[in-house]
Amino acid sequence: MIGRWLGIAVLACFLTGLFSHFQQAAPGVLYIPSRPASLYRVTQGLHVLSGIVAVPLLLAKLWTVYPKLFARLPGPKDIRLILERLSILVLVSALALELFIGFLNTLQWYPWPFPFRQTHYALAWIIVGALLVHLAVKLPLIAANWRHTPAPATGDGLTRRGLFRTVAGAGALVGIASVGQSVPALGPVAVLAPRKPNVGPQGLPVNRTARDAGVTAAGADWRFTIQGAEQLTYTLDELRALPQSRSELPIACVEGWSQGARWEGVRIRDLLRLAGAPVSSRVRVVSLEKDGAYATSELPPQFASNPLTLLALRLNGSDLDLDHGFPARIIAPNRPGVLQTKWVHRLEVLS
Amino acid sequence: MRSPIRVALASCGVAFSLWGLLLLLQSLSTDALIRLPLWLGGAVLVDDFILTPLVVGVGWLLTRRLTGRTAAIARTTLLYVGITTLIAIPLLLRQGQGANPTVLSRDYLRDWLILEAAIVLAGVIVWRLRRADGSARWQPSRQRRS
Repeated sequence: MIGRWLGIAVLACFLTGLFSHFQQAAPGVLYIPSRPASLYRVTQGLHVLSGIVAVPLLLAKLWTVYPKLFARLPGPKDIRLILERLSILVLVSALALELFIGFLNTLQWYPWPFPFRQTHYALAWIIVGALLVHLAVKLPLIAANWRHTPAPATGDGLTRRGLFRTVAGAGALVGIASVGQSVPALGPVAVLAPRKPNVGPQGLPVNRTARDAGVTAAGADWRFTIQGAEQLTYTLDELRALPQSRSELPIACVEGWSQGARWEGVRIRDLLRLAGAPVSSRVRVVSLEKDGAYATSELPPQFASNPLTLLALRLNGSDLDLDHGFPARIIAPNRPGVLQTKWVHRLEVLS
Repeated sequence: MRSPIRVALASCGVAFSLWGLLLLLQSLSTDALIRLPLWLGGAVLVDDFILTPLVVGVGWLLTRRLTGRTAAIARTTLLYVGITTLIAIPLLLRQGQGANPTVLSRDYLRDWLILEAAIVLAGVIVWRLRRADGSARWQPSRQRRS
């Protein structure tokens, strides 16, 4: 029963993690739709939630099989048993470490001597692989268990059902105490979450500040350029004089927190039309920041042409804070926050 | 024993794991590759030789004089205190050290104390209700948090 739920949590975590991985992989590797606008917010919130809920499930599962740890070691001739034990060792060690580094990543704390993103991704494949092997080994037992529920244990100890209720309660408890970082209504009780909604400049949290990015406030000499069939250059006031559109879109971070916001600015597709480019163009977004990984991003055609996608100048009713990307940033539906490039000063039409 | 489903599951599993291993070999430096297994081993040691014995030991120590429903409620309450504390530990350690003021902006020590107090209070309330309702059929560990 606990194993079943742990398996479901691991699978949900793996699939949502894969989705996030492909969102951030080289553009064009996989077609990502630009709708529904809050899809990434939901999947990434679910990713972190299923990971946290898996902690009590994993500990409970290890506790129920604890006596087996001291079972007789298999003899050298028992190859099958040795392989089975090895697959369980791989599963337990990789899953425990994966949940640990995943949770600490949401705190932006990295006390280990290996890169987080690459290790987290590779371990996920190893975990799912070891889980499938474990299922293959245990399939007859699982099938028997589904066919007829064993009678509950008697006596003073916990019954199977009682144990499951207790563990489900623990999972619900840690889930409710942490999901508020993606569901603002539960923000006040999110005492186990590293993020709190409505905290930050303009009431919105920040992942990477201007100071982290080495960006200082743009002055009067700031210009925005779009390079299409022709090259157009705008001052900030000229951008403000273009037709402005509004979008209600969330910032949804890979660390699981998310929050909706009201953005105002110029539609990317309007800018493309002005520059004589087709609205379904692939667009490179260039930031003022110099650091390689965040300095540019690419908007695939379905995102560039989406009417919700803006070169945003305003957030929640006032000019963008410097930490939110002043003077201009990209905001698009169904995208990880890391791709919502800030401090944008140039768009290049690629196709 | 050797059903096609089992063979397919196991083959997929081995392929996935090898793919993960290949990704590790490709993307990690030699230094990181040497240290990663130490952390993987550490994760097992912490689970199997610290956390589980701690849970079993503390649970036994604190509930050995209790019996029946009281023991079950006490055990569940202790487990909830333990799991929430385990998750709170990194937050408590990093309090005030967030990368920017919007990370870890809570007073985690205060929040943790309130959470644990609420769990213990819920445990006591359930215990009192169960005791008052002594005639009802007893179902162990039907506890809900407040």
